Amino acid sequence: MSPPLVYTPLDEIDSVRDDLDATFRSGRVSSIDYRKYLLTQIAYMLRDNTVAIEDALFSDLGKPKFEVHMLEIDLAITEIAIVLKNLSKWAAPEKLAFSLVWSATRRVVYKQGKGVCLIVGPFNYPISVCVRPIVSAIAAGNTVVFKPSESTPAMSALFAEMFPKYIDPGVLRVVNGGVEVMEKLLDMRWAHLVFTGSTRVGRIVSIAAAKTLTPVTMELGGKSPVLIHPSCDMQIAARRILWGKVLNAGQTCIAPDYVLVPKELQAEFVGALKKAHDEFYPDGPLVPGAMGKMVTVEAFKRVAGLLKATQGTIAFGGDADEVAKAIAPTVVVDVPFDDALMSEEIFGPVLPIISVDTLDEGIEFVNKGEHPLAIYVFAKDEQSKKKVISQTQSGAISMNDVVLHAASHELPLSGIGASGSGALYGKYGFDTFTHFRASMDPPNWLDMVLGIRYPPYTERNIKLSSYFCPSIPSRPPP
Amino acid sequence: MTTLAYTPISEIDAFHAQLDATFRSGKLQSIPFRKYLLLQIGYMLKDNTQEIVDALHKDLGKPDLETHALEIGPMYNEISDTYAHLEEWSKPTKPPFSLLFQPLRRVVYKQGKGVCLIIGPFNYPISMCVGPIISAIAAGNTVMFKPSEATPAMSALFAEMFPKYVDSSVLRVVNGGIAETSKLLELTWGHILFTGSGRVGRVVATAAGKTLSPVTLELGGKTPVFIDPSCDLETTTRRLLWGKVTNSGQTCVAPDYVLVPRHFQETFIEALKKTHDSFYPQGPFAPNAMGKMINEQAFKRVSGLLEKTRGTVVFGGQVDEATKAIAPTVVKDVSFDDPLMSEEIFGPLLPVIPIDTLEEGIAFVNKREYPLTVYVFSTDSTFKAKIIKSTISGSIVMNETLWQAGCDGIPFGGIGPSGTGFHNGKYGFDTFTHFRASLDSPSWVDILLKLRYPPYTATKIKRSGLVFWGLPGKRPTGPPSATAGSRPYKKWIMVFVALVLAGALRKGNLLGVRKLL
Repeated sequence: MSPPLVYTPLDEIDSVRDDLDATFRSGRVSSIDYRKYLLTQIAYMLRDNTVAIEDALFSDLGKPKFEVHMLEIDLAITEIAIVLKNLSKWAAPEKLAFSLVWSATRRVVYKQGKGVCLIVGPFNYPISVCVRPIVSAIAAGNTVVFKPSESTPAMSALFAEMFPKYIDPGVLRVVNGGVEVMEKLLDMRWAHLVFTGSTRVGRIVSIAAAKTLTPVTMELGGKSPVLIHPSCDMQIAARRILWGKVLNAGQTCIAPDYVLVPKELQAEFVGALKKAHDEFYPDGPLVPGAMGKMVTVEAFKRVAGLLKATQGTIAFGGDADEVAKAIAPTVVVDVPFDDALMSEEIFGPVLPIISVDTLDEGIEFVNKGEHPLAIYVFAKDEQSKKKVISQTQSGAISMNDVVLHAASHELPLSGIGASGSGALYGKYGFDTFTHFRASMDPPNWLDMVLGIRYPPYTERNIKLSSYFCPSIPSRPPP
Repeated sequence: MTTLAYTPISEIDAFHAQLDATFRSGKLQSIPFRKYLLLQIGYMLKDNTQEIVDALHKDLGKPDLETHALEIGPMYNEISDTYAHLEEWSKPTKPPFSLLFQPLRRVVYKQGKGVCLIIGPFNYPISMCVGPIISAIAAGNTVMFKPSEATPAMSALFAEMFPKYVDSSVLRVVNGGIAETSKLLELTWGHILFTGSGRVGRVVATAAGKTLSPVTLELGGKTPVFIDPSCDLETTTRRLLWGKVTNSGQTCVAPDYVLVPRHFQETFIEALKKTHDSFYPQGPFAPNAMGKMINEQAFKRVSGLLEKTRGTVVFGGQVDEATKAIAPTVVKDVSFDDPLMSEEIFGPLLPVIPIDTLEEGIAFVNKREYPLTVYVFSTDSTFKAKIIKSTISGSIVMNETLWQAGCDGIPFGGIGPSGTGFHNGKYGFDTFTHFRASLDSPSWVDILLKLRYPPYTATKIKRSGLVFWGLPGKRPTGPPSATAGSRPYKKWIMVFVALVLAGALRKGNLLGVRKLL
């Protein structure tokens, strides 16, 4: 059985940060070889402890083994592989194109670490969503405080046990705790803070970070809509949408939250969903290991409550087991715009289906709400796709599939508005944690030209100064 | 005296809604339209150059050459650079080849973020305001622009000029003080770019946290200067003093204080004096020779620091309260805890601190908050490299001052208390851009990817590991040692093998050709 979660004593946290700051200032993590070593260590940590991770995630989230591999460990190791392959290139000073005016200044942009970074992880994907930013932070030459979620006690205890065996605690420290520990951490200044979690807590974290002028990257939430267009492949759409919904029992920040389907296609779509559901769960979804569970009793009650309050009709599913914190994948049809299921991000395996008359009506509804993390469009018609891209705003916009964009390592994971700010994964993650330090070293002889800037300020020099600016293209017609 | 007309607070919501409606209309998605707007801004500056010169002279006593060379000039550069590259920067980008994901037609769209708020400082109303405005519009946003109330003539001119060149439904100038700015900060923005003090920066960041508006903060700090005896004294003192006297020291990247080897202090000071005299043959208070302090309060603050210093004034020291003028003043033998070292000076006083070792200087700088920039005057590459490696700052500039703020291709920004984020050129464009990931998954990829669907079988678990990359490299036996000499040899062996293969292939070809013949 996994060890119980031990909270880090509050009075240790200052010295933890000081330690990590001392390591950063010592210059040790500026070595590319050392960073590569650390990243390889993390990969081996995941491989060596696969069984322990499977057990911990099953204990905390009922996460099926396959999901632990495909959506957690494999994604994290692939991130490491991609970063290792590109690290020397990404960390090298920026090459600048020749400029007649500026090249003589010997300008350059150095890539340096920012310092001690704080990464606050969510409960839903402790491995992939936490380790990937950790990898970016270390790759960019920082030291890290990692605060995993207290809602996943087995996994967070395992992190605290595993990491020190592979990474020097002077470089990365796991800090466990609840609200008090978070408040203490947020009182301190960080070189960068990545927070993944709810929009509500994201605001609290951003306000706290502002006091210390800590730059933040926020990966928050929202209701990611699915827009169905008649030109789509209905069977494929239904299967993929259901897949995205059932992962981790719907507790995925980019899960398809609700569907907007043309009225006349609702029945066909629901039929396709049912077919996919039965293919997924030949023995039923509540069979052990078939599906994840709600993370806590509170989460179970919240989602079950939304389902209870819906004005829509349950097409299939609806089974729930409070003791096991399990909710079966449930499709609800004829859901009105102002339904209980539409009042908040569902974060559970319940799929509301709202029928609309046109794509435009769907777009209009989506635009009334906050910008979501993702918008999903199922269509073959290019015009429709372009319309949604141009008339909506969201972190990502994915055609004919869901969730996968977060698995393709070289696409940015970013929110916008209430769904977040900044970008993570791949080079985007690396750049997030990198300080771009501009530099130049102009030779003396440039003053033959630039000397006109010095006092005394003469009319002649004012005239000459205009010659050193590029002229702008001609005036546009009125 | 100019009285600046403040925008009625009751109108601000409607202005914000209008800018939002313009953004949502998709009008700014047109690249030609953005380019048109950029040129309009350029011609606004061209047509109103004299009015701008007059306004900045009124507000800041800014000499004409400074307005031309450091305000308007750099904007033509920014407009040219952005205009020339706009198609390239705004083009969707494709991520590198991936065997698995290639069929998914991944792309990253560059889109605007929405209505962006730009709050400008008093010291460089043109370059530090119009620069970010150019980036925001280039990236496809609409803009609410709040210039400083401390420069009433220039801010009134902005309110009058801008609507004639850029429609107010695309860019709106809002003037006001604390109340109006607070109202603006209650609203939600696609991005906020603030230039000013750290104290106000925190207020802005806090408000932005409430509305989850992303921020870029260009703040301040005490910019240190390291002097090395290997430097060319004449060029060094000219570039250094120029950086200090420009805008009467009211530049966020002005050299704040100097660290010089004790034995070199006198030589250095003498050279500074010589340069000063060459700058001001009629003295620094001659008409148009130098800028003035922005207001009474700033004048009192800076002259107060001068009064309290325990260092020795080498030259300068004259002040004129009526004109808010302070002469360029060099103070030597300043100690680490002198009043001149208690805050960012933001005035034309240059403290010179003698140090005994470079390490002492670096340690002192590192004890303090990270500055916006660090200056190093030296021709010794070891000296330079040491400071680059051992200090943390927004930028680090060798043998020059100020130009990094307007140089093409490099970012302008701070770190820690000196700021978050950056702008200038593509860095500015990217700051105001939303990177929207996208993919388009054909139905047939499920032939490969159907293993993702339940039911979850043991075979699928085995196969999933194959879908992604294998474990990177061999298990390390320990952290790398200081010398990792094997790598270069590996490279040369590869080159050798390649050459041999190339030679063999050519030989093979010749044989093949002979066979055909």
